[in-house]
Amino acid sequence: MPEGNIQTITSVGIDIGTTTTQLVISRLTIENTASGTFVPRVEITDKEVIHRSQIYFTPLSDRNLIDAVAVSKIVETEYLAAGLAPDKIDTGAVIITGETSKKENAKAIIDALAGYAGDFVVATAGANLEGIYAGKGSGAAAFSAQRHQVVMNIDVGGGTSNYAMFHEGKAVGTTCLNVGGHLIEFDPQGDRITYIAEPAKIVLHSTGQRLQVGERMTLPQLRPLVKAMATCIVEVLKPTKQSELTMELLMTPPLQINHTIRKVMISGGVADYVYAPQGPVTMSEVTVFGDFGPLLGWELKNCLEAAGFVLEKPNETVRATVIGTGTQSVNLSGSTIHLQEKTLPLRNVMVISPFPVTIPETVQGIGEAIQQEMLRLQVIESEGSVALAMKGPRTMSFANINILAEGVLLGMEKYLSQNKPLILVIEADCGKVLGQCINAHTNRPLELICIDQLEVENCDYIDIGKPLMGGRVVPVVLKTLVFNR
Amino acid sequence: MAVANNELEKVIIQSVLEELAKKGLLSNKSKDHIMSTTMLDTPQFSNNSSEEMVTFPSLDEMQISKPFNADAVKAMKKSTPARIGIGRAGTRPKTLSWLRFLADHAVAQDAVFLDVSDEFLKQNDLMSVQSAVTSKEEFLTRPDLGRRLSEDAIKTVSDKCEKNVQVQILVVDGLSSTAIEANIPDLLPSLMQGLKSAGIKVGTPFFVKYGRVWAQDHVAALINCDVIVSLIGERPGLGTAESLSAYMIYRPDKKTVEADRTVVSNIHKGGIPPAEAGAHLADVVQQILTAKASGVKFNQQK
Repeated sequence: MPEGNIQTITSVGIDIGTTTTQLVISRLTIENTASGTFVPRVEITDKEVIHRSQIYFTPLSDRNLIDAVAVSKIVETEYLAAGLAPDKIDTGAVIITGETSKKENAKAIIDALAGYAGDFVVATAGANLEGIYAGKGSGAAAFSAQRHQVVMNIDVGGGTSNYAMFHEGKAVGTTCLNVGGHLIEFDPQGDRITYIAEPAKIVLHSTGQRLQVGERMTLPQLRPLVKAMATCIVEVLKPTKQSELTMELLMTPPLQINHTIRKVMISGGVADYVYAPQGPVTMSEVTVFGDFGPLLGWELKNCLEAAGFVLEKPNETVRATVIGTGTQSVNLSGSTIHLQEKTLPLRNVMVISPFPVTIPETVQGIGEAIQQEMLRLQVIESEGSVALAMKGPRTMSFANINILAEGVLLGMEKYLSQNKPLILVIEADCGKVLGQCINAHTNRPLELICIDQLEVENCDYIDIGKPLMGGRVVPVVLKTLVFNR
Repeated sequence: MAVANNELEKVIIQSVLEELAKKGLLSNKSKDHIMSTTMLDTPQFSNNSSEEMVTFPSLDEMQISKPFNADAVKAMKKSTPARIGIGRAGTRPKTLSWLRFLADHAVAQDAVFLDVSDEFLKQNDLMSVQSAVTSKEEFLTRPDLGRRLSEDAIKTVSDKCEKNVQVQILVVDGLSSTAIEANIPDLLPSLMQGLKSAGIKVGTPFFVKYGRVWAQDHVAALINCDVIVSLIGERPGLGTAESLSAYMIYRPDKKTVEADRTVVSNIHKGGIPPAEAGAHLADVVQQILTAKASGVKFNQQK
């Protein structure tokens, strides 16, 4: 085959959670699957995890502070173990999840790591994204596509439970509940409480229990509390009205249930205990990791089965999120790319959607809509680049594509006079011709990236990596706002 | 009077009213009034309208009566235009599937037997010449004649076409005139724009009636171009009759074989959209010009 038809890239995923920090390095094979002179169709054809880190406890210098130095040490150690230098990493993401992402210093950690971990690693967080990555990593997304069945993935970690519902491989609903196995900490294998997180206090209040740090707790005391938590996790899946406790613990709007949910997959640190043949029977079995994760897993299994849900086994449990982050965060997109090599990578490109409902009919109308949106977001005054996202031209006719091209040039005139690159992201299959039309209608040399067949709905920023496959595609990572809670 | 909501009911009411009006038992004014109150303001049929258009429900409609996993059928139907998930009546297809099959077959036949209209050629500024074939029947039975131009066409091309251009584009009806009318208005201007932006010298495109792919070799010999591109209607199938292919060849001669041609097929709204295909073809033509080769030789160079 001609050169440049197959290529591998190395991707890293780093997951810093409430309880654990993990890293995986994957090799993604990308291939032009269209033959001969057909329009190139570049796809990720293989994903192979080449290095799995140990599972570390997230280093905290005190209760609310992640130890940045210790985290970067972990990354450094694991790169060394994998035999890879940071500059060998092509892409990837750091995801800060669960309770940890709420902590104020998380942003600084991400910044420190982004510099540390290769040229093109993006930092990301957000409960919904976390749930989706977990479901992709656990195999729930693939399961829904292969079996044509709706499946709900719940990633139950130390601090939160992240829900993502998949239908035909696509995430169709997400939510997040502030329940996890590490909300109360004990002496490892002991029964003395060393810490009670806020959400656990809420649940304790609802069960009418009064417990303080330093007290000892028995299994009969712990069980009703954990049962209440498991009940909340299951209640989220039901279309009926939810209890006050569940509503209080929800961190995002409740799940939109548009599909009947029957199959459920559990991933995350607690998952191994959901699928265990028997539950923990002594306090020391429960607190083997200094929390109550094993008991939560067991009670969750009982609760799900009692409610009539069918449990499916995931491919990955505790590593689901990190594997999803490392292998699923990248989209490959191609079409017209006229760029100087040094322009890429572009980070934190703001995505603006000037045509939320329909696209105007005329060049003037399109131009004005873009200008208004640019003005509203004060793009001209800011330093960064923006990407214009849209569904496509009014129709796929050449005439309408030309109108769109002229409209875009009109609307972006001021922006382009600042010598910024013109970045377009379109859902329809017309990136090449739109790029061609824009070039035909402009009289200045443009730096242009025209990406098609990519949906960027609900996405705030994108990162665009260095072109691959002889300049035909660029890796694109979609990001939601890092700290939107 | 109750509003008629059933087509048949409407038709019966209308015929009765018209009959009454004809016999003078009802004034035309009252007839119109009654018709409009029964939502019959536009007459449903007249005596000579035996050829009414029929609209079928959309293809992706589920026709299996009790599917075990409806989502699976939907997903599979989405992945192919083939007639799957259509259910059955005993051992036979359901009436609707059978009628649709017949209708699609008729569309395919129309694509072959209808001609590209003169009006279309005028709208798209395409000069028309004919192959050595003289009728549709001959076109279908004598492929050899469709591969070269008629004496008149040779003269027209020699007289009117610009010689020694880098690229010449032909629009050829081939086996689907429907494909030409559906795709050329978006495909051709997009391709021309792409080639012009690249600074390539392109001859004025023209139309070849009753043409087959090889006709391009004959034209290339007459006008001495580097690359000749034929945009030709593909043999229609039951899935679509609108599919078009682009055949490209670098300097064809007597030794030319089929492997020397580069082809981009499946150009239609459900495949590569025509405008996008134009931009893609412009790229491919530039690559062929640089490589000074097409077909397998071109692929080996890449």
